Amino acid sequence: MGRLFIVFSLPVILLLTVPLIKMTTGPSLAMLWETLGDKDVLLAIARSLGLSLTAGLLAFALGTPLSYLLARKEFPGKKIIEGIVDLPVMIPHPVVGIAILSLAGRTHPFGRFLSSMGIEIMGTRTGIVTVLIFVGIPFYVNTVKAGFESVPARLEYASRTLGAGTFETFRRVTLPLTWRHMVLGIIMCTARAISEFGAVVIVAYHPMTAPVMIYERFTAYGLKYSQPVAVWLILLSLTLFILLRLMSKSAVQYHR
Amino acid sequence: MIRLDNISLTFPGFAIENIDLTIREKDFFALIGPTGSGKSVLLEIIMGLIPFHSGRLLFNKKDMAQTPVEKRRLALVYQDFALFPHLSVAHNILYGIRYHGIKKNEGHRRLDDLANSLGLKRILDRKPHNLSGGEKQRVALARALILNPAVLLLDEPLSALDPEFHGEAKNLLKQIHQDMGMTIVMVSHNFGDVMYLANRGAVIHQGRICQTGDITSLFEKPDSLFTARFVGMKNIMPARILQGNVRVEGSDAVIATSAVPDIDQGYMGIRPEDIVLLSQGADNPGNSPNRFCGTITRVASQGMFVEVHIESGSLNFEAAWPRRYLRDFQIAPGRDATIAFSPQSVHVFQDYPVISGPA
Repeated sequence: MGRLFIVFSLPVILLLTVPLIKMTTGPSLAMLWETLGDKDVLLAIARSLGLSLTAGLLAFALGTPLSYLLARKEFPGKKIIEGIVDLPVMIPHPVVGIAILSLAGRTHPFGRFLSSMGIEIMGTRTGIVTVLIFVGIPFYVNTVKAGFESVPARLEYASRTLGAGTFETFRRVTLPLTWRHMVLGIIMCTARAISEFGAVVIVAYHPMTAPVMIYERFTAYGLKYSQPVAVWLILLSLTLFILLRLMSKSAVQYHR
Repeated sequence: MIRLDNISLTFPGFAIENIDLTIREKDFFALIGPTGSGKSVLLEIIMGLIPFHSGRLLFNKKDMAQTPVEKRRLALVYQDFALFPHLSVAHNILYGIRYHGIKKNEGHRRLDDLANSLGLKRILDRKPHNLSGGEKQRVALARALILNPAVLLLDEPLSALDPEFHGEAKNLLKQIHQDMGMTIVMVSHNFGDVMYLANRGAVIHQGRICQTGDITSLFEKPDSLFTARFVGMKNIMPARILQGNVRVEGSDAVIATSAVPDIDQGYMGIRPEDIVLLSQGADNPGNSPNRFCGTITRVASQGMFVEVHIESGSLNFEAAWPRRYLRDFQIAPGRDATIAFSPQSVHVFQDYPVISGPA
């Protein structure tokens, strides 16, 4: 039985690893170093990282109350809200870009309202962060919701019976027991945002993020010039996910 | 004094109905009932964790409906103790002092006192997952007691403990009540524990109070079939009770009782330990009019005593006798036995739970 499972698991592992190994070993070391000397590449990677991290932190600020509500409270329409939160995982990401474009563009009253407030979505960092939150928030909310669910409500009740108000209970009981899930959620959201291309390319081709640059170099100059940028992006994502796995492991041990 | 005045609450598939209860100062009050009867819900209503739909909750005549949990100055110890897993034992115990105006120095002094009296000195730096059940319970009690609450609420405090800690924990609770003189409200489904600890109580069944009063009166004078069964009454038989005589359904026998009420369709019950053995002069029956000759049908060991079933005509009695009777009086299935019980030990009650008024 075990051997059979290994035989069936192998194709999956090969499918995930072979193309990536092929690509990462494709460019020579010299070329990789040369790519690191390209100011545009560094800027695009730094931009991807910075804007994705911003999206992750905003998901923390905006998604934590929602995660808590979904984990702790029963209310009419809860299942619908949960479905809406999961929606970005399912819909094609160019559709996300088009949806935001149709709402925040100058042809829509809301877009004109934002513009009058000095907020520009199209072709700006604000626009990129907006779509990155859109695609990344399900990862944050679901991770943190699971964290809140893992804390028995009785611990919060016990805190209240000992005299702590709701905010103090959250600060002294819920937060210390769930902060690892929040960090995990931020990493998940950030990692998802780093890889986003479909929605970003519609809302903001410029300023250029790393995935958009890889696409541009591929279409303009071919495989050889897009590969080194892709390698650096993969290494970055790999580092993030190893970090993620280590974090989740320690979070599990903590709750045991 | 805590007063629950006609409190009702409805959940999907379950309801707490018209609860009238008075818990006096310094009472050790037990809310007794089987699992799912609503007793823990009642405790959480008193604590303020569950809002009720109608009625009033008064503490010393003050309406508590709008008082949040943290302002009630009650302490609740959960069945699973609900210790904070990320805090050490000491920090668990000290958790609430800042909300009760207790200064840090005073808090540490109380911590030392409690650690000494509850035997927690060696484990103050440990995390809860490294503690035994008994230790967890003592920490949870210390965490509540350090705040010197007016009322201590205990939700099934003994049911999560291993048998080796059970007796020790019972003595500890009794000692706390005696030494600190505080009001304690305890939820329990074990009438033995309640008999040992509480002075007053209420029996709850399906969200309604069946009977309230002194624990001894609950034990000795159950006024409903449910309470009778719950407090360990045996020999329960459908009967008609008229002017001190019990006529058991399907039998010609007349049993004398000292119970006053006439009940047309009710039940009688006799505690098995109240049935004495007359054969070979084993027990002194006094001048009891209730004497029956029969045959022993079953003998079952129950540890310290033996459970003996005696068939007398159409009546079947269950008696609980000391183990030595097996040897001294040759108690065995098939042997004849004469038994007796006093009219005072014949209890009568009705079929349906009687909803008591204020205790």
